[in-house]
Amino acid sequence: MKNWKLITMPFDKENPITVQVLGICSCLAVTAQLKPALVMAVSVTVVVALANLIISLLRKSIPPRIRIIVQLVVVSTLVVLVDLFLKAFVYDVSKQLSVFVGLIITNCIVMGRLEAFAMTNPPLPSLCDGIGNGLGYGIILVALGTVRELFGSGTLLGYPVMEKIGAYSIGYENNGLMIMPPMALILVGLIIWAQRSRNKNMQGK
Amino acid sequence: MKHFTNRYMLLYSLALVAVLAVVLSVTAVALKPREERNRQIEQQQMILKTIGLECAKSETAQAYDRHITEAQCDGQTYYRYDCDGRQGIILPLHGTGLWGPIWGYLALDCSDNVVGAVFDHKGETPGLGGEIATDKFAQRFVGKCMDEHPIYLIKNADKKNPYQVDAISGGTMTSNGVTQMLEEGYFDYVKIKENTAK
Repeated sequence: MKNWKLITMPFDKENPITVQVLGICSCLAVTAQLKPALVMAVSVTVVVALANLIISLLRKSIPPRIRIIVQLVVVSTLVVLVDLFLKAFVYDVSKQLSVFVGLIITNCIVMGRLEAFAMTNPPLPSLCDGIGNGLGYGIILVALGTVRELFGSGTLLGYPVMEKIGAYSIGYENNGLMIMPPMALILVGLIIWAQRSRNKNMQGK
Repeated sequence: MKHFTNRYMLLYSLALVAVLAVVLSVTAVALKPREERNRQIEQQQMILKTIGLECAKSETAQAYDRHITEAQCDGQTYYRYDCDGRQGIILPLHGTGLWGPIWGYLALDCSDNVVGAVFDHKGETPGLGGEIATDKFAQRFVGKCMDEHPIYLIKNADKKNPYQVDAISGGTMTSNGVTQMLEEGYFDYVKIKENTAK
């Protein structure tokens, strides 16, 4: 039950993007379309979950003085592995994600969870915490990717939704601003706004 | 707090790095063939694009075999296309941009006119130098000519001049790289023409 909570908390009240405001850079960069957003969400989830698990297993043997380096080496290895798998199995997406896969290494969510959770908690809760935070990040990415691709390019996962429902024939046009990074920031802002006005205890005094 | 000696820390780091290095190398070697095949398909897709054929991944190899033949000149590979009665040469280009390698392909008809172009890059700045990978940029080359002079990039290019192509604003270093690459490509092209004339 407690582990389940660790997975679900980051979806809303502890969301890494909208509440902790971490991982914003990649969230702006990869959400112009849904497919890279999905792949990025899965990649980050895999990396945070496994990094949390590995660091948690090693936590008692890691000398505190070199712990950040140990964490970085583990995270880098996982990210390079993810990168290799993407290149082998979804080559076009890996090209679109380009540097952002490598930048998962420096994604604050990953290091943040390792320091704040995995270093002091047993493996199973750490794994759950990692999955939860990865998915919490993923939900926002997918939400942004859906809105931006649908209204920016009129498609979803490349399928021409707007064309099929005949929106163009009645004078509808794609919004070019949607596919620009600033729009992602505005959308994140709107999500934060909606979330805080729903949760009274999140509002600042 | 538990005390860790320097010796322990040193051995710990060495062991950790060694284990992870083995994991990485094994995976890299195991996945290499798949990645190579993806790269090859991508290259074939780029080459086919210069003559106006856009293929899905599964159809690429077939279309490539049908329309493209590889040829050699002075140890350099170039390509010949034959598609719907159109024939000519596809010239591979290699150069350096601002941050890393850039490359591309130019399809030429038998009177040295460019019928199609495609460019790509390893790590040029997105939105600036990275624009060379867009269709919009590649389209600027169509109708340009390589008969007596290399094509070059210049600010505010004269649209009627068959050797000038509009450069990318904010991407000067990358544009210079493209010009350099086109010049080298031009000399390759002259050599290929001399060779085939013999």
